[in-house]
Amino acid sequence: MTDQSTSIRMGAGTRLYLYVSLTLVAALVLVPLLATALGGFKSLGELRVNPFGLPSKWLWSNYLDILFGDRYWRQMVNSLFIAVMTVFLTVVVSAMAAFTLAHVKFFGANHLLNYFLIGLMFPVATAILPLFIRIRDLGLLDTYWGVILPQVAFGLGMSILLFRNYFRNLPEELFQAAFVDGCGYIRFFWHISLPLSRPIIATVSIISFVNSWNSYIVPLIMLNTETKYPWPLGIMVYRGEFGTQWQLVLAFITLTILPTVIVFFLAQKHIIAGLTAGAVKG
Amino acid sequence: MASVELKDIRKSYGTLEVVHGVSLSIEDGEFIALVGPSGCGKSTLLRMIAGLEEITDGEVMIGGRVVNPLTPRERNIAMVFQSYALYPHMSVAENMGFNLKLSGVAKPEIEKRVGEAARMLALTDLLDRKPSQLSGGQRQRVAMGRAIVRDPAVFLFDEPLSNLDAKLRVQMRTEIKSLHQKVGTTSIYVTHDQIEAMTLADRIVVLNQGNIEQVGTPLELYRQPANLFVAGFIGSPAMNILDGVVDADNGEPAVRLGDGSAIRIAPQRKVRRGQPVKIGLRPEHFATTGTGSIVAGRTLLVEPTGAQTHVLFEFAGTQVTAVVDGDHPAHYGAHFEAVADGAKVYVFDGASGVAL
Repeated sequence: MTDQSTSIRMGAGTRLYLYVSLTLVAALVLVPLLATALGGFKSLGELRVNPFGLPSKWLWSNYLDILFGDRYWRQMVNSLFIAVMTVFLTVVVSAMAAFTLAHVKFFGANHLLNYFLIGLMFPVATAILPLFIRIRDLGLLDTYWGVILPQVAFGLGMSILLFRNYFRNLPEELFQAAFVDGCGYIRFFWHISLPLSRPIIATVSIISFVNSWNSYIVPLIMLNTETKYPWPLGIMVYRGEFGTQWQLVLAFITLTILPTVIVFFLAQKHIIAGLTAGAVKG
Repeated sequence: MASVELKDIRKSYGTLEVVHGVSLSIEDGEFIALVGPSGCGKSTLLRMIAGLEEITDGEVMIGGRVVNPLTPRERNIAMVFQSYALYPHMSVAENMGFNLKLSGVAKPEIEKRVGEAARMLALTDLLDRKPSQLSGGQRQRVAMGRAIVRDPAVFLFDEPLSNLDAKLRVQMRTEIKSLHQKVGTTSIYVTHDQIEAMTLADRIVVLNQGNIEQVGTPLELYRQPANLFVAGFIGSPAMNILDGVVDADNGEPAVRLGDGSAIRIAPQRKVRRGQPVKIGLRPEHFATTGTGSIVAGRTLLVEPTGAQTHVLFEFAGTQVTAVVDGDHPAHYGAHFEAVADGAKVYVFDGASGVAL
């Protein structure tokens, strides 16, 4: 409570309103997460009658079965590989494209940027049929690359936008000083722009990592072999013909979102800095 | 080190020409200041010499070589920017050695040259710090150090002191001057502050709206301004300008002002009777005793600065500033009287503003 003296004083009513509304919003996010994590400890029968409360009997076997089975780890490795490659390619390609769009004036630069931004308007699902045909023609069906490349392509619009705004806000004189020091565009990019862009690299990485980690439809269409499935497809295994083992699905989901939650908390500081960078000059 | 020669330099943005044929030759080792009000084209001119701005027409020569198509690096110039433009992620030593590193100079050699420059600028203890850990004056010194290590042909300064507070500015001014005396590299210094230009430069170039108004040593510009613009720009407080018509006062040449009072002018001025002119009176040339034309009026404002007092008073329907000794009594509303020596009255043509 030390910062109270420096902030604007507010009345008790305002404060109550703030706490109530913030609690509501937090509950909206937290309750499903908690219900998922707790549901993994219940039996299917208990889940039906008591979906939100604490389990009457803690069943550790749901979690342990998943953790000690090799399917979970295989799918995590698949997801991780796809996500890491997606992040790497997205960052490299979009940073270079954004740098060009931010610093080099050439004919059609704005049109090109708009072309990339139009990509923001289309969800993957709308393009799934032509995408499938193109990937099939490239012979990439049922390979990791068949998932990675479309994900990178769909992530480019947002990433270029974020990178470009950040690069444009680097002081102009910095570029001129580097130019006088003997940098060309490429050296300026490597020696000056990139080292200064850690916050935005973290932001873009997290966004594309989470998107790839949770991506369902692209792997569903592109992959056929179960050993190549990332985890969102893995859940399908628990859906039988006549019933779904919900307690296992919930336990599985809890175990798979854990890595992203951890990564997010680790990179949180950078993300917030990156999202607000360029909003105000500072 | 090298001489710099500008030949009829022009700069246009689209159809708008902002620099209109500037020619200037700068000798090896000279310290030149480009001064003028904002938007006069001085920074543009500097950036064209640096190679950061394309030259629309004309030639820039450094060391006798036309450098128009060359990059800043090939021109071998170093530039100090107003915002310092230090690389935030590099230490002071890395900032200063960055150019050498890019040129492929060996590490021990870089360290030696950075060390030398750091000693010269008293930065030795700060070499491992990041720019964010430095004060404004230290950052400015690092920016200068970055320029020195390269041993460039020409130093270019783009208003390097405008971001500093008044006291530090004076201190850094001295440092720049002593640095130039030590290394003796040809320097071009852009500023809008005429005091900076006067104190630092061997010669001053006064620019206005993309044209050179006058080139000369600081004292030449102060004593013999070529026209009204230079007269009004050089000197602080600014020169008083009064409208009048050439007339005679007891047989001596004088200028008759709007209210009928006459100000004697030097007999050698090339004027003819009845010619409309403007006269310039430097505030510091007013005397409180002695002979000359009397200039007097009601005191409107008194600004003591210690050794001297600035007095603003009403005269001939306008407001005139005089700088008098700090001990001279002056009060708001009181009658103020001063004497203008005819030999120190500047006369300019009423229409063209050219000195007569």
